[in-house]
Amino acid sequence: MVSAAHTDLPVKTKWPYVTAALLSLVGLTDAVYLTIQHLAGQSVPCSVTAGCEEVLTSPYAVVAGIPLAALGAAAYFSAFSLTTLAAFGYRIAGILLRPLVAVMVLVSLYLFYLQAVVIRAFCQFCLLSAAITIALLIVVLVAWKKGSQ
Amino acid sequence: MKRILPFIIILVVLGVAIGSVVYMTQTKSASNENVNQAGPVGPKPTPAPTLGPVKTGDPGADPPHTMGPANAPVRIEEFGDFECPPCGGFHPILKQMHEEFGDKLHITFREFPLANHERAIPAASAAEAAGLQGKFWEMHALIFEHQNEWKLAFDIQPIFERYARSIGIDVERFKRDMNSDRVEQRIFLDGKRARSMGVGSTPTVFLNNREVPFQMLPADTLRGLIQKELQAAGTQK
Repeated sequence: MVSAAHTDLPVKTKWPYVTAALLSLVGLTDAVYLTIQHLAGQSVPCSVTAGCEEVLTSPYAVVAGIPLAALGAAAYFSAFSLTTLAAFGYRIAGILLRPLVAVMVLVSLYLFYLQAVVIRAFCQFCLLSAAITIALLIVVLVAWKKGSQ
Repeated sequence: MKRILPFIIILVVLGVAIGSVVYMTQTKSASNENVNQAGPVGPKPTPAPTLGPVKTGDPGADPPHTMGPANAPVRIEEFGDFECPPCGGFHPILKQMHEEFGDKLHITFREFPLANHERAIPAASAAEAAGLQGKFWEMHALIFEHQNEWKLAFDIQPIFERYARSIGIDVERFKRDMNSDRVEQRIFLDGKRARSMGVGSTPTVFLNNREVPFQMLPADTLRGLIQKELQAAGTQK
C-alpha cells in the first residue's frame, strides 16, 4: 500500500516539494496551452518577439504521432503528482521524482539544442518550459539534500 | 483525510487540465468554422473578429510594389516577412484573390522582415533588388514558393542568384543591388510605415486601410470581406 510509506515531513523538507509542485503546475499550464494550440490546428502569426510558429510547425513538434506538447503536459502532470505526494510525506514519490526530473532536463536540453541549432528559432513558451525544468531540478536537488540530512 | 488530500488535489488538476484541452480545442475549432463561413450563417458562440479602424501611417517605400489598377475599389496591403511560414501560406491566397478579382483589386506588398528571422533581410533584399530590374513579383513568388529550400540552406546567396537567373535579370547588377543603400532604404521605409501603423507581426494585412485580423485571412473569409467591400463601393457610387 502507498499509505504504508506515508510519514509527516518536517517543514524544511516539505517546502522544496511544495515549490516544486507549484513549478510543475506552471509547466503543466504552459504545456496544456501549447497542446491546445497544436490540437486546435491554429497557425500563429510571426511576431517581432517570438519564433513559436517555426518551432510549433517544425517536424520536431510531433513524436510518434503525439504532439510533443502533450508529452510535456504528461511529464509535468507526473512531476506535479509526485511532488504533491512527496510534500504530503510519501517518500517513494520523492525518490521517483528524481529520475523523472533528470529525464525532463535532458529532453529540455535536447529541445533547446533543436531550437538553437536546427530550427534556428526560439519559442518563448518552449523556453519557459526549459526554464521551469531547470528550476525543478534545482528544487528537487535541494529537497533531496534536506531529506538526507 | 490528510492521506487522501494529495490524491484529491492530483485528480482535480488532472480534471482541469483535460477539461481545458477538450473545451478549448472544441471552442477554437468551432470559432474557426465560423470564420471560414465568412457570413451571417450559423450560430456564433464566440464573437467574430472584425476589421480594425482605418489607419494611414507613414508613406513607406516609393514607388511601392503593387498589382492591379491604382483606382481599384478594394485595396489590400500586406506587410510580410519572406521567412515567416504563415506569410508563405498567405502567398497563394493573395495570388488567388488577384486572379479572382482582377482589376477590382489593388495589392501592395510591404517589407517587414522580423529581427528574429536571420534570413528575412537577405530575402527582402533579394526581392527588392529584383524589383529594381522590374521583376519584384516574380522574385517575390519564387522566394515564397521555395521558402523551405533557402530557409535552412547553409549559404543562401547562390540560391537567390539562381532565382535571379531563372527570371532573366542581370545577376551581377542583382548582386550589387542586394547590398545597395537604395534597397536598404526601401526596406527601412516599409518598416517605418509598418511601425507607424502598429504592425507587430506578419502577415499583417490591411483591407482599404483597415487591419484584417489574422484569423480572417483564410481564402474563403478574405473573399467574403473583399466582396463586402466591393458591394459597399458599389452602393456608394
